[in-house]
Amino acid sequence: MNRKMRGRGMASSWYGIARTATIDRAGAWAELDDGGTAKIVTGVTEIGEGILTVLAQVAAEELGVRPEDVTIGDNDTSRSPEAAHAGATRQTYMIGNSVALASRDARAKLFAEIADHWDVPVDSLRAFNGELWAQDTNLRMSMDEAVKTCKGRGVVPVGSASFTAHGTGLDPVDGSGSPWQAYVFGTQIAEVEVDTWTGEVQVLGVWAAHDVGRAINPRGVEGQIEGGVVQGLGQALMEDYQTENGYTTTHGFAKYILPTSLDIPQINCTIVEDPDPLSPLQAKGIGEPALVPTAPAIMNAIYDAIGVRIKSLPATPEKILDALRNHVPGREQIAQSARQDRAEAHRRGL
Amino acid sequence: MLICESYHVPKRLEEALALWADAPEGSRLVSGATDILPWAREGRAGDVEIPALIDVTKIPELKGYSCDKGRIRLGAATVYQDFLTDRTLMTNLPCMPYCAIWFADDQIREQATVVGNLVNASPVADGTPPVVALNGEIELTRLEDGAVKRRTVPVVDFIEGPGRTTIQPGEIATAVTVDSAYGYGGSFQKVGQRRSLVISVACCAALVRADSTGTMFEDVRLALGGVGPRPIRLRDAERRLKGERITQELIQRVAESAADSVGSRSRKEYRRDVVVNFVRAGLEEALANQPEIGAKFKNFGETENA
Amino acid sequence: MPKIDLTMDVNGRKVVKQTDPHKRLLDFLREDLNLTGTKEGCGAGECGTCSVFVDGKLVKSCLMPAAKADGAKIETIEGLARPGSLTPVQQAFHKTGASQCGYCIPGMVMAATSALRENPDAGIEEIKERLGGNICRCTGYTKIFEAVEIARDVIAGRLPETALDEDATGESFIGANVRRLDAPSKVSGRLKYAADIKMVDMLQMQVLRAPMPHARIVSIDTSEAEAMDGVACVITADDVPGTDGFGVFVHDQPVMARGKVRHFGEAVAAVAAEDLVTARRALAKIKVEYEELPGVYAPEDALKPGAPVIHDYAQDNVIKHIPIRKGDPEKGFAEADLILEDVFTTQQVEHAYLEPEAGIAYVDHDDVVTVLSPSQNITHHRHMLAEILALPINKVRFIMSAVGGGFGGKEDMIYQGMLALAAMKTHRPVQLNFTREESIVASAKRHPSKVHYKMGLKWSGEITAIEFDMLSDGGAYGMSSEGVMRKAAILSCGPYEVKNLKVDTKVVYTNNTPSGAFRTFGGMQAQFATESMMDMAAEALDMDPFELRRINMMRIGSRTHTQQELTTASLDRVLDAAEAASRWEAGAPKVRGPRRGDLGGPDTRQPCTLGARIGEPTVTPTNDERVAS
Repeated sequence: MNRKMRGRGMASSWYGIARTATIDRAGAWAELDDGGTAKIVTGVTEIGEGILTVLAQVAAEELGVRPEDVTIGDNDTSRSPEAAHAGATRQTYMIGNSVALASRDARAKLFAEIADHWDVPVDSLRAFNGELWAQDTNLRMSMDEAVKTCKGRGVVPVGSASFTAHGTGLDPVDGSGSPWQAYVFGTQIAEVEVDTWTGEVQVLGVWAAHDVGRAINPRGVEGQIEGGVVQGLGQALMEDYQTENGYTTTHGFAKYILPTSLDIPQINCTIVEDPDPLSPLQAKGIGEPALVPTAPAIMNAIYDAIGVRIKSLPATPEKILDALRNHVPGREQIAQSARQDRAEAHRRGL
Repeated sequence: MLICESYHVPKRLEEALALWADAPEGSRLVSGATDILPWAREGRAGDVEIPALIDVTKIPELKGYSCDKGRIRLGAATVYQDFLTDRTLMTNLPCMPYCAIWFADDQIREQATVVGNLVNASPVADGTPPVVALNGEIELTRLEDGAVKRRTVPVVDFIEGPGRTTIQPGEIATAVTVDSAYGYGGSFQKVGQRRSLVISVACCAALVRADSTGTMFEDVRLALGGVGPRPIRLRDAERRLKGERITQELIQRVAESAADSVGSRSRKEYRRDVVVNFVRAGLEEALANQPEIGAKFKNFGETENA
Repeated sequence: MPKIDLTMDVNGRKVVKQTDPHKRLLDFLREDLNLTGTKEGCGAGECGTCSVFVDGKLVKSCLMPAAKADGAKIETIEGLARPGSLTPVQQAFHKTGASQCGYCIPGMVMAATSALRENPDAGIEEIKERLGGNICRCTGYTKIFEAVEIARDVIAGRLPETALDEDATGESFIGANVRRLDAPSKVSGRLKYAADIKMVDMLQMQVLRAPMPHARIVSIDTSEAEAMDGVACVITADDVPGTDGFGVFVHDQPVMARGKVRHFGEAVAAVAAEDLVTARRALAKIKVEYEELPGVYAPEDALKPGAPVIHDYAQDNVIKHIPIRKGDPEKGFAEADLILEDVFTTQQVEHAYLEPEAGIAYVDHDDVVTVLSPSQNITHHRHMLAEILALPINKVRFIMSAVGGGFGGKEDMIYQGMLALAAMKTHRPVQLNFTREESIVASAKRHPSKVHYKMGLKWSGEITAIEFDMLSDGGAYGMSSEGVMRKAAILSCGPYEVKNLKVDTKVVYTNNTPSGAFRTFGGMQAQFATESMMDMAAEALDMDPFELRRINMMRIGSRTHTQQELTTASLDRVLDAAEAASRWEAGAPKVRGPRRGDLGGPDTRQPCTLGARIGEPTVTPTNDERVAS
């Protein structure tokens, strides 16, 4: 065996969007504000995933303003509507749809006034990027003017909404139920190089294809996939929180080893869009699912490279060399017998 | 957390020695400080209250390096990053840049000192094997009747075990003196759970000089870290290589004999495997890293990383 | 403690200040100068959130005593660009989406800046090496590398400055790469996380933690600590006025250990004092008498008859068991041509968000107990805290501060209760900032799991039956365990339509660090087993792994493991997309790495060899002379 051995492996995954086996709900308020700006208030937002920007995009799209015109006030149980937690790959799905619906509600108030003001049918109105116009007419004004006009008529264009995802509980005996209304699927391939002298594994490439429903911000989706892949890589190869009879032995980052910039494969993302038919935005989610297939893809790639299968994570250098030292080729024989049996069955015309 | 009553930054060696000699019990010398601050935390020493910290890095005599009679005296304030930026150090101590690049990270290397690393005497210190391979001697300085006295101790003898050295009360390690190995190829092997900021499971420093035709080993230096309580110089392996014809077979044979130098009880089988491979890789890379003849060895072994 | 005088040039301004001799440069910048863009992520030089320039060299300010920097020129994240403007590096981070939670980002921007100052032409390998001391937990580094390369080329004039501009938007903001709105505040260090916020008259809290994993608390004597100068209050479980208990599914965890400790590092008491050092010293004065109890440290042991009981309500130590049944597994295995059986295990994993837990509590003018913290679930925390404090729900307010990474680890209310109690007891704002070590011992982890797997297949590749049995270690408290088991069970057998299956997931109490919510919530552990099994099956069947998956994949109309009929399904599309993108060479997974033709393509990186800069001419050209012998 050469010192450096390469191989590839793949793995697929699936995941449910929003809270599991229960009804999920989220509320939001929206207001078209002076100057053609907008206020959005909801109970939970950013933990780093980029939802703040996604919500601004959603609100801007629905309200006809620009994302940078949107101010998001949030995250306060006494000052904002309930939106539950930041987790469960529910932010874009739950809060995003709730903000979309609240924005539509606010926009409807504005459009009703402007339609009346211009004397055009309300469904002829369109708004985008700070402008509002009536289709097939020369009627056009800035959102700044539109809000002024609306308020001049005695109406503050505010809206609110609640979005619901209908999951059901599981039967306590056979587990049957519909835990989610939206599912996503993913597939990843990993290419590795194993140093058979040290047991070190370097992941050189990952190809990650994930269905996200609809990518509101493709770059943000990529960021989630890349982050998920690297957390998966960490769990696959190095991370290991350890206790000895209950006592922690990995107290800090000197012992709890995380991936650094030198451990990062080239990550090639492919975003697949299979729109969700049950929600206004048609988007699903990506936060958690991105991590699922990475570790098995890497383990399958290690097997492809050196013929040992690591079934106990993480695949540390020591574990790899131990596995090589104690390697008994076995699966190849099963494969061989499988082929023979199939060939025989074929001969007998079965 | 680390709490100290006073923090001294002496500007002269005599002042530092006097402060150190008179320091209340429990006081500590500080060089790069990259180990003492993480030490005083939960999981290691926890909260520590220290009477005095004496920082030796602002003493002019401890800064920089000097060269004399084929030896280089590295002042105690010499940091690891210097081996990646100073051409003289890189060419005369050719195993040090490869050690430095594996040592912690760029930022810690700006602070962490070679001498501090030796005095800490960690069995897994990356910095020890290359200094041992370079016949390093540590310089210990003390005040005796008001006069500055120095003694030197070979680093292999200085480090007695984990955290234990032969330094005496009142002594400050002021320098380490090493061989110039100009013209040698150097290398450093290390494996941990990742490549940056990681403690080694084992490491190996190698220095090699072939003859002008690249057929014989003229000189070989090999040292191991992380495989026992003290750094190990592979004298026997060196003797078996020196003056011999450079072949894959010889390297492999000698490498295999190094397995028995593993003293660590934990992860022993793994360390034995790695040490054999590291001696082999270390020699192959060092051969390929020689300044002139190295090109001949670029595709010599399995090691394409030279 | 006698003070020391320090003089520094900080971001171009002369600073003369007295401070405590033990302060690190990090403390001096954050506490004495309010330069909170420099973060504390680990305090041990292992993460890089505190990187600053000292005399032009980038160092980790948590490893530098402030006194060492006396007389030095310091440059922090706040000093890189004038207020309102951003450097090309910062602009590039903004453009590429290189900041996510943002907590590592000031340090990362500093490291990137340093890399390009040290070598303006640094290649990607050298850039990666120079960023090697800065950990990012969110981004996967990829967008950061992209940003540094763009900035390098703009600075060098190889790319126009417009390369830093936002991508143009077409006819819709949906699907547009709108730049992150929060990025400017993150790349410039302006965003305040909970630990960065100071309130007038604020106390500092420190927590006494259990020194052993399982023990009865015989007594706690706080009198000596309470009598110390500068100590405002000491709290224990006795201070809880309402119904003590929190947890995502079962409220089994007290605000502080009540009667017994169940894991190493569990909170036992807390001190609020005028400053951190006083609070630390007061902890040492609290006397706790423990009576050690036999513990359970492996989930298998928790199920043995006579095992120590960890919670009285669960005499069998079982937190939750989720069964799923479909079809007739016995019949399915009887029909199988090939049956594979194996065991897969996964380890306990730490979230390692770069922002350790931190928070502030105060009682406002309306007598509303307010807790500001990076909580991932303020809605549920408010409900639980109202019960714990015996207050009407509108008298408890949670504000979610900027979250420096969560990944599920900030869903548990492990410290907010202590803060609220101390604020109520003192009527002063109280702040608690975890150390990294504290975060690691006290916060939940990803459940370690063991899966016994049995899969039956036809030679055609069709899966006829699966038996999937997972046992997980929930640790000392329930936290999210129930939900994690549910999700693991639902997703267990992967995105394949399996007619006959028997799935059981079970989680038990032990005296280990609790397990809780962590990105994928059980999905990763379960599918690691399934996807490994699929590869082994593909090998045994001499079949390409994509083909095996296509034979079994869920389609529209498929019934899931919980018998839900799918109205959409996209596995076919993602399989096609991944296969094409990776230029996958078809074949059975039979250790064909050495013979593959699809390796090493342009969409892979080079293996890291370290030392990209060694031997480069850019290294400071000092005299390259042989030392005379």
